[in-house]
Amino acid sequence: MPRQCDICQCARAIIRRPKTGQRICKECFFHVFETEVHHTIVDGRLFSPGDRVGIGASGGKDSTVLAYMMKTLNERYNYGLELFLLSVDEGIAGYRDDSLETVKRNKEQYGLPLMIVSYEQLYGWSMDAIVEAVGRKNNCTFCGVFRRQALDRGALMLDLDHIVTGHNADDVAETILMNLLRGDIPRLGRCTEITTAGDGYIGRSKPFKYAYEKEIVMYAYLKRLDYFSTECTYSPNAYRGYARQFLKDLESVRPSAIIDIIHSGEAIKVSEEVQVQRPSSCERCGYISSNPICKACALLEGLERGIPKLGISRSAKHVDASATDISVGQTQKSTHHQAVEPVHFERLREKALEMRMRRMNGDANPCAAPCDDSCHGTTCVCATDDDCAGGGCH
Amino acid sequence: MSGTPSRGRERVPGMCIKCKVAKPSVTIRQSLYCKECFIRTSIVKFRTGQSRLRKRASRSQTKALVAFSGGGASSAMLKLVADHQSSARKGVDATPAYTGIVVGHVDESCLFPEAPEEEIRAIAAESGLLYRTLALEDIFTLADGRRTALIEIVQASIAPGAEKDQFCARLVRPSNKVSNKEYLTALFASLGSATDREDMLDIIKAFLVRQLAREEGCEVVLMGDSGTRIATKTVALTSRGRGFSLPLEVAAESRWFGDLSVWRPMRDFSAKEIAFFNHWTGQKSAAVPTFTTGGPRRASIDRLTEAFIAELDQGFSSTVPTVCRTMQKLEPRDEALAAPPCLICGMPAEGNAQAWRSRLTISSSGAGGVSASARSSPSATLPESSCLASGDTSSLLEIARTVCYACQSLLHHASPGIVLPEFCAKRLQAVDASDNSTHETAEAQREALRRQIDEFLLDDDDGTCDSSAGC
Repeated sequence: MPRQCDICQCARAIIRRPKTGQRICKECFFHVFETEVHHTIVDGRLFSPGDRVGIGASGGKDSTVLAYMMKTLNERYNYGLELFLLSVDEGIAGYRDDSLETVKRNKEQYGLPLMIVSYEQLYGWSMDAIVEAVGRKNNCTFCGVFRRQALDRGALMLDLDHIVTGHNADDVAETILMNLLRGDIPRLGRCTEITTAGDGYIGRSKPFKYAYEKEIVMYAYLKRLDYFSTECTYSPNAYRGYARQFLKDLESVRPSAIIDIIHSGEAIKVSEEVQVQRPSSCERCGYISSNPICKACALLEGLERGIPKLGISRSAKHVDASATDISVGQTQKSTHHQAVEPVHFERLREKALEMRMRRMNGDANPCAAPCDDSCHGTTCVCATDDDCAGGGCH
Repeated sequence: MSGTPSRGRERVPGMCIKCKVAKPSVTIRQSLYCKECFIRTSIVKFRTGQSRLRKRASRSQTKALVAFSGGGASSAMLKLVADHQSSARKGVDATPAYTGIVVGHVDESCLFPEAPEEEIRAIAAESGLLYRTLALEDIFTLADGRRTALIEIVQASIAPGAEKDQFCARLVRPSNKVSNKEYLTALFASLGSATDREDMLDIIKAFLVRQLAREEGCEVVLMGDSGTRIATKTVALTSRGRGFSLPLEVAAESRWFGDLSVWRPMRDFSAKEIAFFNHWTGQKSAAVPTFTTGGPRRASIDRLTEAFIAELDQGFSSTVPTVCRTMQKLEPRDEALAAPPCLICGMPAEGNAQAWRSRLTISSSGAGGVSASARSSPSATLPESSCLASGDTSSLLEIARTVCYACQSLLHHASPGIVLPEFCAKRLQAVDASDNSTHETAEAQREALRRQIDEFLLDDDDGTCDSSAGC
């Protein structure tokens, strides 16, 4: 017997909503799902009108739905945002190259400009090359550290005000549990924040913080969105696997458990004495870091010197900052993939400021000025074709 | 300790880590112990933990209540406390830990007919200490045996067209036709899941233990939560949305309950250590049934978490101590300490819980339409209770503000018409009477309660119920 929607009381219910267990119709599902994300954005005060917002896009379900949702809500509620797709190419054959194809299709489907930054370009190392050098055991450390920085670099290249990522409620709840189980108290205090500071200039936030993974999949399915679903070819974090499985079990015992955990995480207060010290900048690349050398630079140095363990244990402190002298912006381009020095963040910020000045002077095209080639081909691989039509570079 | 060789830090391979001469019998966190050294170490560890707690206490001389369920951990605690106390009396130690000790037990046989109450009584008797019990169903009467008022939850759901969900309640007069036991079984039958039943049982037991402590004039309640149990509770309470009160609920010492301090001296012991201690010292313990005894892994959040922590601790042996240490570093928020107590669990009720959930879990379209779950219906499990203000809708109370996030979930899943115990009505009156955060102080609030209720009481059929201690 067909059942009526619990919400509108007229249409036929077609799904049982994972978050509440209500049986609802398709339109009501869209309505509540979109409105909840809208509430998250409004209550969290994530944006101001006129913001240039980059959507961290991997081609996976979360970021595809996020891109669609941001576009929809921006139009519906007049956020006044300028949206961009920002992708990181880690260089994992058979995984990222395929998912990037999806992102490129999304760019056409949603009419949003796209920028892709690659590990290869930024650091001179693709993940495939890193795995070859370090083996499969710690490669996720490299990937995570590099990705975080790569997004910030991409954001500066586009002069963004804000980055949104597709982290969902399941991810957040899982992280809370992990930090609790591992005793990572500073992170336990931080991990529920909806906006984090990024490199100190660009805010980052998670509009899907309260959205269930199952509902994101459901939304993508019902909206027939085009997304890529394959797990990364390199093995996932085993410990996180336990937390993930436990969370799935919890959800089956009580569907509200995920949101309940987030509620708990937000209410938890960490004792004053375990607050972390104020971070400073990396002496080499200018990225935010609590040590003289940031994690990415330490990992890179380990790779370059053939001792990849360097950055993984507590070694970042022991790297002698003065050992390698880097003159900013003057690194020569080399065909040898291991010789790329990451561009200094000060340089990226200057470029971003220049772009902003040009935009304020009425020049809408960020790529119009001739490129002085100091961007190593990373600044302007961006944007939609028409954006770049008059552009001076690459 | 005479005759034992010098105790250096070096380990002798294959020998007990302490005495270095005996063959080890047990491994505790990668260290080997012989039986004697293990028992001695356990006793020293317990006493050290105790004196640490006592040093921080405001008064040095206190009377303590040992919360005794009959299970392994509380049996071990009972033995450790009782031995410490008697050795002090014999002059072995300088001062006894407490001026007096009472064993307090909550009789659960109303819900669990198979509960081994006689066995538990026998175990407690061996300690030679005063043994006091209250039964679960006693929550439906005041301490002096009178019944005043109960709270009936009329509706706990989304009202049509409302932005927020509502929790409507009214005060009802307990029916003389319904016994306390019937009220208790009806209460548990109205709850929606095994998780909620466990939650409610914990709440009631904790309340009764405090009640026992107050009746016996104890300033300190000793809870037998082992480290394993604390780790499990930490994760389970987090999963139930109790983060706001978490630091108060599992802390080594908690003073949330004003006049009473709650201590957890067994937190440094793992479940394994407790099992070996009981085995080797001949301390008996009883198998205490729970709602999920023998149930599947996913029977409830508690059951699932217990299994999860046990498995994780096998793979990563530092799991339990790590979670316990993490727990110690969490603090209640200032808002929590100033918040009114939740009328169900007595823990701080965060003010915006209802709005928070409603913003992020929309369950109505905002337009009209009466949802099936929103219709209130009289309790299915109890004969119609007499409403204190007979059908007058103005007597409906909106209680969301005084119910914490987790207890709101509990009410959401409960069937309409659920009747909450007497102490909930008392807390509601206390909150209404003064918006201060004074909680559970006896006489003044009871008076306030009676004054409030007097307005509602009808002088019709049952004159004895008014102000005399009749019913």
